[in-house]
Amino acid sequence: MMSPSLALRNVKKSLRDYGVYFLTLTFGVCIFYIFNSLESQQIVMELTSRQAAALRTLDKMMGIFSVFISCILGFLIIYANRFLIRRRQKEFGIYMILGMGKWQISRILVLETVLVGAISLFTGLLLGVFLSQGMAMVTAKLMGAAIGRLRFVFSPAALRSTIFCFGLTFILVLIFNVGMIQRQKLIDLIYADRKNEGFKVPRLTLSVALFLLSLLCLGAAYAIMLLFGLPMANVILLAAVALGTVGTFLFFFSLSGFFLRLLRQNKGLYLKNLNMFVLRQINSKINTAYVSMTFVCLMLFLSICALSSGVGLAGALAGETRRNAPFDASLTVQAPPAGIDPARVALEKGVDLDAFAKEYLTLQYYDVGVKIPLNTGEHAVEAPIYFLKLSDYNALLSRQGLPPLVLGPEEYAISSNLPKEWPAAVRDYMAGDSGLTINGVQLRTSPARLEESPLVTSAYWAFELTGIARDQSLTAADLPVIKSALHINYPQAGEPYETLCLNALSSLELTAANGSRLNPSLETKARVLEGSNSTTTTVAYLAIYLGIIFLLASATVLSIAQLSETSDNIRRYGLLRQIGTDEKMINGALFAQILIYFGVPLFLALIHSLVGLKVGNDLIRLVGDKDIWSSGLFAAAVILLIYGGYFLATYWSSKNMLKKE
Amino acid sequence: MTVILQAKNIEKYYGNKNNLTRALAGISFDIEAGEYVGVMGASGSGKTTLLNCVSTIDTVTAGHILIGGRDITEMRAETLAAFRRKALGFIFQDFNLLDTLTAYENIALALTILKTPPGEIDRRVLEMADILGIVGILPQYPYQMSGGQKQRVAGARAMITNPTLILADEPTGALDSKSARTLLESLQRLVRERGATILMVTHDAFSASYCDRIMFIQDGKLFYQLVRGSDNRKLFFDKIIEVISLLGGDSHDVA
Repeated sequence: MMSPSLALRNVKKSLRDYGVYFLTLTFGVCIFYIFNSLESQQIVMELTSRQAAALRTLDKMMGIFSVFISCILGFLIIYANRFLIRRRQKEFGIYMILGMGKWQISRILVLETVLVGAISLFTGLLLGVFLSQGMAMVTAKLMGAAIGRLRFVFSPAALRSTIFCFGLTFILVLIFNVGMIQRQKLIDLIYADRKNEGFKVPRLTLSVALFLLSLLCLGAAYAIMLLFGLPMANVILLAAVALGTVGTFLFFFSLSGFFLRLLRQNKGLYLKNLNMFVLRQINSKINTAYVSMTFVCLMLFLSICALSSGVGLAGALAGETRRNAPFDASLTVQAPPAGIDPARVALEKGVDLDAFAKEYLTLQYYDVGVKIPLNTGEHAVEAPIYFLKLSDYNALLSRQGLPPLVLGPEEYAISSNLPKEWPAAVRDYMAGDSGLTINGVQLRTSPARLEESPLVTSAYWAFELTGIARDQSLTAADLPVIKSALHINYPQAGEPYETLCLNALSSLELTAANGSRLNPSLETKARVLEGSNSTTTTVAYLAIYLGIIFLLASATVLSIAQLSETSDNIRRYGLLRQIGTDEKMINGALFAQILIYFGVPLFLALIHSLVGLKVGNDLIRLVGDKDIWSSGLFAAAVILLIYGGYFLATYWSSKNMLKKE
Repeated sequence: MTVILQAKNIEKYYGNKNNLTRALAGISFDIEAGEYVGVMGASGSGKTTLLNCVSTIDTVTAGHILIGGRDITEMRAETLAAFRRKALGFIFQDFNLLDTLTAYENIALALTILKTPPGEIDRRVLEMADILGIVGILPQYPYQMSGGQKQRVAGARAMITNPTLILADEPTGALDSKSARTLLESLQRLVRERGATILMVTHDAFSASYCDRIMFIQDGKLFYQLVRGSDNRKLFFDKIIEVISLLGGDSHDVA
């Protein structure tokens, strides 16, 4: 039978044309699998029951969203497929002239679709399985779970749903393709590449008016967002979104007509190299492309916001993990005036610390009777400062794998990991420090001496500062001890040690020197992290998931539009070559054309995003003090990778298309 | 008179060892500056191959072609593209205008790819349009023009760079007889007033009768040459018809 070999040859031959199609499919399958395999990733994590439940919820959420996502991906695949088919209409026409029946052609097409689908499904799944190994680590970190034994993560459920969703899409593509062939008339197939569009250029005054109107709409939308901020009333938000959408639409609608006229006034630029040609090319299509431009721009905007917020949230979480839980467990107790050594007490009472502690460290905080005024402009407080010995502090640092602090004899350092605007206030104080006296010795500090490493595992911020001074400054005087702390690290993270530790220490009775009972507070890393992390992780993951999908969608739509345009333009470029245009100039024109198509929506989307992120930033700061702008950088890298990848793939495919002729 | 185009014994073979086609079997001829030369011949006689070789679109198997004293058979690909845009002008049967550009822009394009200063472009386009009688249609798009107008725009595009040689491939092929006449008269004016040199391939005796000299090609060889001299167009036309009937074969092609 000749159909299979013909189909195989066709796929091989048009591998370049299939490039973007493959890329989209493979990316789609890969992302889809990764985000659906979350639940099975827990085999490499040591989860508490609460964390396991959270992961299940996350997985369920992903499942629900995946239905929506698969609709988007399905649309993209069908869209990409349509381009491929359109490009090959003439080929089908030739098959028909040769006497091949419509069903025979359909069979070739079915075989091709199945072949391409199978290859990309396989590649995507392979990539997905591979990448989901790394994803498990990230998930564990975000959920604050420990990573247990390294094992290969594979999710049969994710595999099933991926195959199901994409299988369904392929069937839709098949139906579409066969239907297309059945409906076609031979004459249309043969003359498929001869159809010419007429061009209508909107009137200049109309273009300018619409352009100004679009700027007005966008300005109003921005103003509303910046003025009201999130969260805002639904009606206002809706108005802003509507204004933004209409503004974007009008912007692209009027842009070409407006822009072309403007540039034509500048003869020096317009009559240079192929500029005229490029501008006309864009102008001739932007009249019909403004809808997809608007779509792409808004998708990009959503994608940038979703990615930045998602990564920002994740970053805020991970940052807080580091800040708030330097030890597996911390027991603190206020025990003035002589302090207490909780470890010794525990050992005396027969607690086997070694059963759950790989290492432990007892710290004493000295009260020097000083309060430090802090002023953020909004709030002013007098924060107490308790002192740690330098040797104790350095022991604490070394447990966290940090380099030791060095202090001069007349120096002291301040340690604070207060959130948000407080570090600045502390620095302000340190800059104007007049020094403090301990035991008759004047000690000074400077903003460079601000230490931000966390000192204790705790679920909340304590409004106090910690001072650090050389040991003899503190021990020489008979300073009262205000607080003692016992920090413990387990031999290995996980449930058994956690339980042992909680059982042993939560019931530990401590008594002060005067015989009164003390109230120690015991916090473990697991408890601290479990709290809010799972909800935030869910939101962060969804945001990243959606962000990547939106990005993929917009890049694909643009890429396909450009590729089909290039295939329409082969004749025009051939003509440029005939009249002796430099190959470099032609490639330059092609590059410029594709760059403008990819760049203009991205440009507007970036401006949208600046406003969107400004608003979103305030929201993120409620969760953690991590700034969204730095995560914007990560989002930018992802966008550069995917969007830029599509841009280059489009340029190269287009160049090849032109070269082939 | 200076020789613009010099073809020295050019040959062109297609195919492989077993199945060899000799499209050009050793043709030599000279074209002088300001000459309007026609190439005629039946289908398959090699006239299009000749034009392709001269226009640097195709390469010869043997022999040399000198245009303006430079041997194009020895040039490398990059040099050829540069040579093409500087020294040659093209007029095609199906006009080959860019449908996205106006007539003005189509003509200007030939100058912009030569990196001509923008200030000069405007003046030269208008001057050329005046000679070809297309000033009125400069702001129009190709789809708004008639075939004859399109071909004159193509002519203007070919001429505006003052090329050493203009190559025309069946320029009247897609035109009705009235448009064809206008175009041919315009080309003649280019030769008379601007000193252009044109090599035109045609199988149409009427078009050919506007030339100064006709080269007849058969089986890849120069079969006969006809020089107009002081004959008027009608007389020259009759002579062309005579040669065509001698050539036989495709005489029914003649208009």
